[in-house]
Amino acid sequence: MPNTLSRRDFLKVGGAAVGALALSEFIPPRVAEAARVSGLLDSTSSGYIPTMCEMCVWRCGVLAKVEDGRVVKLEGNPGHPHSNGNLCPRGQSGLMNTYDPDRVLTPLIRVGKRGEGKFRKASWEEALDVVAKNMLKIKDKYGAEAMIFSSTHNLSQVQFENLLNAFGSPNYGTQRSLCFNAMIVSNLMTYGMEEPDRSYENLKYIILTGRNLMEAISTSETSALSKAIDRGAKVVSLDPRFTKTAAKSTEWLAIRPGTDSAFHLALLNVIISEGLYNAGFVANSTTGFDKVAASVVSYTPEWAAAITEIPAETIRRIAREFAAAAPYALAHNGWRTSNFVNSFQTERAIGVLNAIVGNWGTAMSAASGEESGGLGAPPQPAYPRISAQRLDGVPWKYPFVPLKIGVFQELREAALSGDPYQPHGWFIARQNPAMSLPDRGRTLQAFGKMDFIVTIDIIMNDTSWFSDVVLPEASYLERYDPLNIVGDKAYLRQPVIEAQGEGKSALWIYKELGARLGLADFFQYTDEEDYLKQQLAPLGVSLDEVRQKGYAQLPGESGESPELNWNTPSGKIELFSSSLDRAGFSGVPQWEEPPAPKPGQFYFLTGKVAQSTQFGTQNNQLLHKYSDEPRLWMNTAIAKGLGLADNDLVEVASTAGKIHIKLEATQAIRPDCVYLTPGYGHLSKGLTTAYGWGASDSDVHVTYTDPISGSQALSQTFVTVKKI
Amino acid sequence: MKMQIAINRRLQVSPLVAVLLTLMGIAFVVAMVRYIYGIGAISNLSNSYPWGFWISFDLFTGVAISSGGFLMAATVYIFELKQFKPLLRPSILTAFLGYIMVVIALLVDLGHPERIWYMMIHMNPTSVLLEIGICVMTYLTVLAIEFAPVVFEGIKWQKFAHFIHRFIMPFVILGVVLSTLHQSSLGSLLLIQPAKLYPLWWTPILPILFFVSAVSIGLSMIILESSLSARYFHRGLETHLLEKLAGVIPIVVGTYLIIRFAQLGLAGDYKYLFSSGLMSVLFWTEILVGSVFPLVYFSFRKNRQSANGLLFGAIVVLLGMILNRFDVSWFAVRHPDPLTYLPTFMSGAHYVPSLPEVAVSLGIFSAGILAFGLAAKYLPVFEEEEPHAEKL
Amino acid sequence: MTDIQHKAFLFDATRCIDCRACMVACSVENKIDMDKTRIWVAGVGLIGQYPELKRASMVYHCMHCNEPDCLSACPVGAYSKRNDGPVLYNKDKCIGCRYCMNACPFGVPHFDWDKGLIDGAFIDKCTMCPQRIDKGLEPACVATCPTDALVFGERADLVKEAHARIQAHPERYVDHVYGEFENGGTSYLILSHVPFAELGLPNLGERPVKDVSEKVMEITIPFALGWGTVLTGTAVAVHLLNQKKAAKAKKVEEEQTEEAVK
Repeated sequence: MPNTLSRRDFLKVGGAAVGALALSEFIPPRVAEAARVSGLLDSTSSGYIPTMCEMCVWRCGVLAKVEDGRVVKLEGNPGHPHSNGNLCPRGQSGLMNTYDPDRVLTPLIRVGKRGEGKFRKASWEEALDVVAKNMLKIKDKYGAEAMIFSSTHNLSQVQFENLLNAFGSPNYGTQRSLCFNAMIVSNLMTYGMEEPDRSYENLKYIILTGRNLMEAISTSETSALSKAIDRGAKVVSLDPRFTKTAAKSTEWLAIRPGTDSAFHLALLNVIISEGLYNAGFVANSTTGFDKVAASVVSYTPEWAAAITEIPAETIRRIAREFAAAAPYALAHNGWRTSNFVNSFQTERAIGVLNAIVGNWGTAMSAASGEESGGLGAPPQPAYPRISAQRLDGVPWKYPFVPLKIGVFQELREAALSGDPYQPHGWFIARQNPAMSLPDRGRTLQAFGKMDFIVTIDIIMNDTSWFSDVVLPEASYLERYDPLNIVGDKAYLRQPVIEAQGEGKSALWIYKELGARLGLADFFQYTDEEDYLKQQLAPLGVSLDEVRQKGYAQLPGESGESPELNWNTPSGKIELFSSSLDRAGFSGVPQWEEPPAPKPGQFYFLTGKVAQSTQFGTQNNQLLHKYSDEPRLWMNTAIAKGLGLADNDLVEVASTAGKIHIKLEATQAIRPDCVYLTPGYGHLSKGLTTAYGWGASDSDVHVTYTDPISGSQALSQTFVTVKKI
Repeated sequence: MKMQIAINRRLQVSPLVAVLLTLMGIAFVVAMVRYIYGIGAISNLSNSYPWGFWISFDLFTGVAISSGGFLMAATVYIFELKQFKPLLRPSILTAFLGYIMVVIALLVDLGHPERIWYMMIHMNPTSVLLEIGICVMTYLTVLAIEFAPVVFEGIKWQKFAHFIHRFIMPFVILGVVLSTLHQSSLGSLLLIQPAKLYPLWWTPILPILFFVSAVSIGLSMIILESSLSARYFHRGLETHLLEKLAGVIPIVVGTYLIIRFAQLGLAGDYKYLFSSGLMSVLFWTEILVGSVFPLVYFSFRKNRQSANGLLFGAIVVLLGMILNRFDVSWFAVRHPDPLTYLPTFMSGAHYVPSLPEVAVSLGIFSAGILAFGLAAKYLPVFEEEEPHAEKL
Repeated sequence: MTDIQHKAFLFDATRCIDCRACMVACSVENKIDMDKTRIWVAGVGLIGQYPELKRASMVYHCMHCNEPDCLSACPVGAYSKRNDGPVLYNKDKCIGCRYCMNACPFGVPHFDWDKGLIDGAFIDKCTMCPQRIDKGLEPACVATCPTDALVFGERADLVKEAHARIQAHPERYVDHVYGEFENGGTSYLILSHVPFAELGLPNLGERPVKDVSEKVMEITIPFALGWGTVLTGTAVAVHLLNQKKAAKAKKVEEEQTEEAVK
């Protein structure tokens, strides 16, 4: 990966390079021409083009400012409900992903040993042939199920799923079990939907359980929370760290990791025993209240105080304040600051808490979802029947985990153990398991078990580094994706500049690969624009119009949502879940004691910062410029006791592995915890900005899976810290 | 004759000259690096410390120690105290070379030295720095005129020397006015930093304090330079004249002390005198060394009459007063961003000059000494006596 | 002073989440080199001891003073203040003296330490995005702010808005709008929940720091003329006195000679 561009100037240099490329190939600039035709760009190819961000999965609407065929600035689209005209730092820096000097611009085929990073350039023809040949070889020899397909939440995922289903493999990995399986499965059990919509409009009281919205920014939600605070809403933040969200909260409770469910169970205890719940709503819209009431009797604030280290009085007061503020109150689903095997119980307790005080319809409402919403789709034949078991244990081991979500870490474990069978190939699109899965050493071992690995990405990510073929995708500013439905509109991601190098859209890649795999019938669209036209066909809207506006208006029920409708077996909010009960789990939320660190060990926490998303943005030079150096947080008093000072290099060790990292002594963390910003410590030397910066949490994380939700218990890793 | 000079120079290079030439060479190389790769490449200057050693040493100290020129010009021409004439030419030469050194240093320090003349075409009348720039440039011209007779005499163009001499008075007066202005304006330069300069130093009367202290520095400098040249060029020392100059010093520093403490009292800043840690130490060091000591020391005739006593006293005054210039322009200036925690490339609130930075100043200083030596050797600088320079 | 009619920023530290979107936006909008910035985070960060903590940080860039000290200090007039607020710097006039950096009480202008004569080393600082505000857009930092910690508008309106926020939530704010009067008034107004010093802001009076030096500059030319006259007078007087003395001495001498002759 030659990188001759100097880091400093490359915002300027990049343009020249792209211009030169376009000229030398004598390809008419299709994007610019089309944009001129639709009036978005003027005769000098300058103007604003509406499209959609892809720096995280929130998908803010952006207006890309284009000058002479170069994107020079991204603005939040004031007309998009996810951005409202604003962008977070990642959104603002998005163009640096596109203009990253480390971009992979041609297909690459490995020539050295795996992990050596030696590749040769190849044509798309050759690269796709190699991929198809290897995939078919594995299919012939071991069956289609020997190919693992994994991809992270993205707009072209529908065609990714199409590819894997058509190919005939059941083995589908997403990142969700590393993130919020506990929340999703709990919501499905309680409300019959993955994640109810939240509204902050009139909220007076918000409990955030490890939800660090001021750093894990979802632009419109962060903005809504901030406005609620400005208005005077009370915010209680449960977090072992003094996060930037805690700093904005009215009250910060430095709860002991793993005990959030005890706190919420105690809230239930107070609200139920003092009769503060919404009896009418409970009677009409929920089932199983009595069972919950009976089960929380022992969960008194005094009981919880001993476990959570939050005074009983505080818990009692918060319970009363919360109930008094209802229905303009919200207990926000936790995310991952303290994820334990009991997190499912925490999520259930939160779900029940919101339900019994009657927050439905005010703070929460039915999810609008991302389903087809009346859009068309290319025709396709039926998928082949798949008889093989899934490697990740869904549903035979994890009956409650949706197939589309899966248990990613179990996939890897199966690859290592060969149980129930051995996979031999791994198709990875825009995902970086080498960084995201816990216990990186095991992930690399799993790569070693593969006959063939192919990745699709725009940069040489750490997983690509270990791949046999790397297919260069066009960046989100260079390609079309399938439409994205938000509310009553379908929003468009469209190219605002020509794809650099030979980057291609995922839609194109899957179609071309499908053809080579003999699956052409499953990809009945000629190109990206044709795909979109087929999506838009039922609406009677032209693609040109959608390109100009950035969205298509969907027909049907606008505004008012239908009847309160919970897709549960009982059709009501299930405070007691008979499904869980039948499967041998507790039907009501209950306390499960999580493991705790031994003396000399610390809880190892990870979390979010506003300047990076997961594992994919650390090489963005603009974000790198404005990020804090990732260091290991440790409480100042503890650090002093251990003879450690700021910036000392320390070794952090768990049973999974160890890392070396600089220390940050801070007041902002519980004495029994340490914290590390995840996503750093990259292995790929093809990432010249990120390589050598920080250390990887996945080297230290131990794999623990929640038996109900399949969630990885990310905070259930205990480490020792010593000076080196 | 010039040919001969050149040949002689090459043939007999004393160790001192060799050292000076080496220092000049190093400075030249450093300056070239600076011009190609930027000031940051050779100095520790930063956004927190936009000015550092060069400004404190070359500009503030350089201008102050060149004040002997206007003092002697005023003494000899305006007050017609002709007995001081033997000190006039060396003082003018010191000032002339001093200001050339200031300008050379500024050409290294300025981001755009090639634009220094912009001061003549884009004048901003509220800028103290503009006033200093214009004064220094004009005064340098005046000094050239004042020194021209020496050169003309040296090359035996007596007519020109006499011609200039006849019209010298307006230039002398202009020179004194310009000197008064910019010696004091160097103090005014810091008036814009009431929020940055420690209250023991910042006062609206900084220009007055600067002028008064410049007088004491100028007097001490004449004593120092006469004493040293007497030693190096083996000529007689005008002890009787120097004694008179030294006798003025207690009056000047006494006045300085009165103004300074009266001002601190009026401003209600006595509370900082002993409670400011390092700042208090710096303050008392410059006061005791630069003012209190000479007030006492030069009040004793015995000290003023001995060659060694004069030299010692002058050096002490200079050290104290130069410390004042460093305090005001560097040590006592608090820059506003120690609280900034991001991004790191913007901070760096600590400053210690780098070796190359000091090397530039040393090189320029060496050039000054060398030029003084050459002038003393080949021009009638020491009018009364013929120079018997045996070594240089 | 509050009736100054021009644009200004209002920054509310209680709203800022230190996400740095403004910084990225500024860097992109103004094509700032990767190792430079016009906008940064200031403040002491965390205050207090676990678990009693507060966070103090602010977004810092040019304050666009109503009476800019940089403008006063610059010897060659490279700075200007536009009627609608922005304090602008013209690199074509700059001689690189960096006096503006010393003059600015906020430490805003910064310099290209890494550029030699060929690249050209210049001062850089926030411009209030004239290329945007001239088109009716907000400056890049303001436009992107997800929590409206930064807002942009007419200064007079923002001063009112700031006081209104304090009145609405007196328990939340320090009862002061920094920049309303500081240093002659700035176009970057700041609301805070912690003492302003903890945000890294200097304690300044209501008159700009350039005040004294400008007054001194005003009397410089009259002083020079007066001082020149005094010196000329002195020179003439001394000369005449000496001539008289000399004449007298000569006379005495002549008389003595005469007497001697006699």
